[in-house]
Amino acid sequence: MSATDEKAPAASIANLTVALTRDGVRAEVLRGVDLKIQRGEIVGLVGESGSGKSVLALALMGLLPSSSRPETTGTITIAGTDMIDGSAEQIRAVRRHELGVIFQDPMTSLNPTMRVGRQITEATGDKAESLRLMSAVGIQDAALRFTVYPHELSGGLRQRIMAAIASAGRPSLIIADEPTTALDVTVQAQVLDLLRQLRDEFGCSVVLITHDLAVAAQIADRIAVLYAGRIAELGPADVVLREPTHPYTVGLLNSRLALDTPRDTVLQTLRPETATVAERMRGCAYSSRCPLADDTCRAQQPPLLAVDGSGAVDGSEHVRACWRDAATVRELALTRSDAPRILVSGSSTESAAPAVVVEGVHQRFVVRSGGRKREVHALRGIDLTIGAGEAVSIVGESGSGKSTLLRAIAGLVPVTSGRVDVARGGAQMVFQDAGSSLTPWLSVGEILGERLLPLRLGKTETAARVTTALEAIGLPASVSRVRPADLSGGQRQRVALARATMIPPAVLLCDEPTSALDASLAASVLNLIRGMREELSMTVLFVTHDLSVARLMGDRVVVMTEGRIVEDGTADQVIHHPEHPYTRSLLASVPEIEAVR
Amino acid sequence: MTRFLLRRTGSAVVLVLVLTAVVFVLQAVSPGDPVKAYLGNNASPAAIAAQRQALGLNDPLPVQYFHYIVHALQGNLGMSLRTRRPVMADLHDFLPATVELVAVAFVLALLLGSLYAVSGSLRWPGGAFFRGPLLVLATAPPFLLALGGIILFYAQLQVLPAAGRGVDSTGPSGFVLIDSILGGDATEFVAGVQHLVLPAVILSIAPSISIGRILRSSLDSTLASDYVRTARSKGLRPIVVLGKHVVRNSLGPGLSMAGLQLGFMFAGVVVVEQVFSWPGIGNYLAASIPTSDFPAIAGVTLVLGIIYIVANALVDVLQALADPRLNA
Amino acid sequence: MSADLTARRFGVPQVTIARFAGRRLNLALVGLLIVVTLVALFARVLAPDNPVQPIGALNLPLGSEGHLLGTDGIGRDILSRTLIGIQTSWFSALVVVASGLVIGGIIGVAAGVSGGWLDNLLMRLTDLFLALPGTLVAIALVAALGFGLQNTLIGIAIVWWPYYARIIRGEARAMAARPHVEAARLAGISRTRVVFRHILPGVVPTAIVTASLDIGNVVILLAGLSFLGLGQAAPAPELGADTARNLQQLLTQWWVPVVPGLAVLLLSLVANLGGDAIRNLLAGRR
Repeated sequence: MSATDEKAPAASIANLTVALTRDGVRAEVLRGVDLKIQRGEIVGLVGESGSGKSVLALALMGLLPSSSRPETTGTITIAGTDMIDGSAEQIRAVRRHELGVIFQDPMTSLNPTMRVGRQITEATGDKAESLRLMSAVGIQDAALRFTVYPHELSGGLRQRIMAAIASAGRPSLIIADEPTTALDVTVQAQVLDLLRQLRDEFGCSVVLITHDLAVAAQIADRIAVLYAGRIAELGPADVVLREPTHPYTVGLLNSRLALDTPRDTVLQTLRPETATVAERMRGCAYSSRCPLADDTCRAQQPPLLAVDGSGAVDGSEHVRACWRDAATVRELALTRSDAPRILVSGSSTESAAPAVVVEGVHQRFVVRSGGRKREVHALRGIDLTIGAGEAVSIVGESGSGKSTLLRAIAGLVPVTSGRVDVARGGAQMVFQDAGSSLTPWLSVGEILGERLLPLRLGKTETAARVTTALEAIGLPASVSRVRPADLSGGQRQRVALARATMIPPAVLLCDEPTSALDASLAASVLNLIRGMREELSMTVLFVTHDLSVARLMGDRVVVMTEGRIVEDGTADQVIHHPEHPYTRSLLASVPEIEAVR
Repeated sequence: MTRFLLRRTGSAVVLVLVLTAVVFVLQAVSPGDPVKAYLGNNASPAAIAAQRQALGLNDPLPVQYFHYIVHALQGNLGMSLRTRRPVMADLHDFLPATVELVAVAFVLALLLGSLYAVSGSLRWPGGAFFRGPLLVLATAPPFLLALGGIILFYAQLQVLPAAGRGVDSTGPSGFVLIDSILGGDATEFVAGVQHLVLPAVILSIAPSISIGRILRSSLDSTLASDYVRTARSKGLRPIVVLGKHVVRNSLGPGLSMAGLQLGFMFAGVVVVEQVFSWPGIGNYLAASIPTSDFPAIAGVTLVLGIIYIVANALVDVLQALADPRLNA
Repeated sequence: MSADLTARRFGVPQVTIARFAGRRLNLALVGLLIVVTLVALFARVLAPDNPVQPIGALNLPLGSEGHLLGTDGIGRDILSRTLIGIQTSWFSALVVVASGLVIGGIIGVAAGVSGGWLDNLLMRLTDLFLALPGTLVAIALVAALGFGLQNTLIGIAIVWWPYYARIIRGEARAMAARPHVEAARLAGISRTRVVFRHILPGVVPTAIVTASLDIGNVVILLAGLSFLGLGQAAPAPELGADTARNLQQLLTQWWVPVVPGLAVLLLSLVANLGGDAIRNLLAGRR
């Protein structure tokens, strides 16, 4: 370590391309990435799924899975070692002494059959040092926790164990690959703090990989936006967030849902991808979705150049890969408020009979884990009335009982005690994972047609109704012949929505329908639900872990934790004047981009 | 852990009881008359009636079953129709040879299976030249392998014997390998090994593939797991990653399969023993089948079944010991 | 919009060709299964001689004129005996597998779909059977029932279904727990329709793969039992028994005992390769 120059970057990536073979298909996942990570800085690497950000993390560690037969060109240099062509022994030494890594899911990333203390000591080589690190990453009673197994710890603690492993041996670079995605918001904030603290105390650099610009905004010094395996924009965090100069960054910022996103306008979305792979590889990969694209964009790949026109790419300046000039792109960023209006705050709740009445509901489950039976008290006395036409959001963290409540209202599980009444028309539900909520071997037409069976319609009329339903969700009639596997994630969620609403139910239950989707796709599905609600004046109960989504989807927001409702009020009340301490702690944990307007 | 042990032991006892019930019922409906085993075919009707009474065959079936269990616990499994000896005495003579053969074959199966799995998962160069032939051999019926082995190694190459255990009588343990070591008899040991090689290898091939395949897929999924990636990211040496993270987490399914295969081996051994004139329980069973010697067949089924049930219970306990999530 | 319905994310044409070749190979292997079934079906037509009648000189070697696979110790045509043996073996194996599939399938689906006490009861029963050494119990069963092919098949069928019940129950349970089944229930679809349209079709591929991979096992098992004399009575040709009866000729006229054994190997190989191919084809379709 001492041999390396103090001024040299912690890692430098030059013209890196990586091609992987997955399911027999070979694809270039990274296509010429240049990035220097300076000592002591935190770089936020932001991109949607498929942008290549996780592959970049693995490439940095020299851990590209051999099963996908990686082909790599370009260079990655860490502490003077070539991480691509270096000997296995050299690369291993770098991983041991220079790199630390935190993966997305701490449950699967820790060996289930090894005590966590030993897993840390494998990296530190010394028990005392392991205990010290455990305290350093904020694990109380380190000596006690040293001998437990991963399954005996909470998600947040597990991620701290990962952090202790990552910081073993005072690495010069910590790579955190979506370290907070599998965690609740409150824990997410703690883990981000921890990363910053590791940098401050150990002086290491951090590469924070995330799909959420706001997460990067919390702690990153610089932000790199990755699109289709290339860097679209790179610069100091506040500059990139305040003055984005790439249309994709602008799109990401505009389609991001925040606590101050206007509730009364249609949510902004990115255009869906329409180009074929070959077309995307020819010019700017973003051109088919870019509102500013011209013929140059479609024909030639833009180089990564300094925004101020000063040429070479190095150090901390603001660079981007776009043919259009920066001023034009910035104008795009200002079009946000032009979006069409949408009706909020629907019909009055007092006049009509309520759509859903929940009274004193308790729900207990017996969970078997490792041969032991354990009782879970998921709902502890829930009272909730939802008026006809009302839109209510339930927000809570994992284990709060919010999904259980939804399933109880749907009648999918009988409640242990209490009463659940749903008005005539019953409940329909949109599930979190649209893919698995559609029967894989039936065509979309068959799935939707089944919903009409009780009406005893003829063949032609059923087909006509299916076509109408598909049109309502913005899909062509031809989709009815396709199976769910041939649809994209967003399209599947649309089909699920069509099934739920083609005969309008008394209440539409939504169980985190957008949490598995990229931000922009999520926004378009939310728009659709809001639009349908307006059109059919439907009652909607929307469950989410995301306060910003809850605020946008509900006139009323209900906060749940540990099987109880702790707060219930209008969206603005709950978000701006929270009463319960739990709601306040939730709100305080929500990552926001303050720099932007 | 204690709870688990108690529960697993309890279920094994229940299984043994069920097995005895099955064997008892089959014995009751089987065509052979146990009285004739004691008196021969020419006994007088009076003698037969007396013997029936003495054997308790006139009692109600539940009472008979109770007596059957009590007798079995006392080591009385009835008389063989064929040998006219107590079945227990026959088993006592023939069981050690079978246990020795199966034990050696089982160890071989574990070795071959591990080799199959590891060479595949770690992509050892040339591993396919080992796995391919093994796969083909495993699809062959054991008796064909035995014939092939005899033709090749006995008739053509003349390096291995084709029949028996190589010794006339065994010592105190009943196992040739152990007795010869105890007696310090090197030639007997070598002869014992030579006689064991062919039947044991042939018996081990099919189970080795079953174990190897399961083990390989579990190795593959462990190798692709997130925590192995974590272990690699720590910069541990590959051998350490393998030894401390991969192997332990991959063994479970292989162990379960090994337990199941032990059962199949006790069945397969019948054929192999017959071809190699191995003086074991399988040969005894094979000889009992054509003569409809049901008490003997029932005795063999019971003893091998109990060994199988106990072995599988042991496998489960081993697995629970290896996985902290199971013994919470 | 419809453009990205058809264009997969990273479609590279050359791969489809590679897959196509793999598909052709798999289809060819499934074809082999059909060929063997046809041979078994028309064994009596294909057999050149009466399999139980001494027809030529004793112990003629392989490749003899008129007796391609030679003759046995009493002058019967080995090719004819082997063909009929293949017929018996193959159809017996199919019968056992089919019975396992039907019994195990019904029990497995009933348990997996119903859940609750019925599931508990059926699976306890299944586990009980699985925990007993099946082959040994089958031998004891046959010994008690009396010898003969029919009883052997009944004996094996009795111990064979639990394996299927376990696998099919697991798959049915997994299917029933998928959100698409809940969604179907919420959509107001009748219980029977949910089972037959939203659960069963998902179980069928697993059942087919399990069964096709099992044919080889049953062929080997049946041959072993026949070798021990648990098959048809003496003059009838049967692959395992024909080997056992002619064992003493191994060192003088090796082909007499070995040829029937090779036929078993052939059947088991075809069954295994075909089973693998069916699995690959079904996996590729998903």
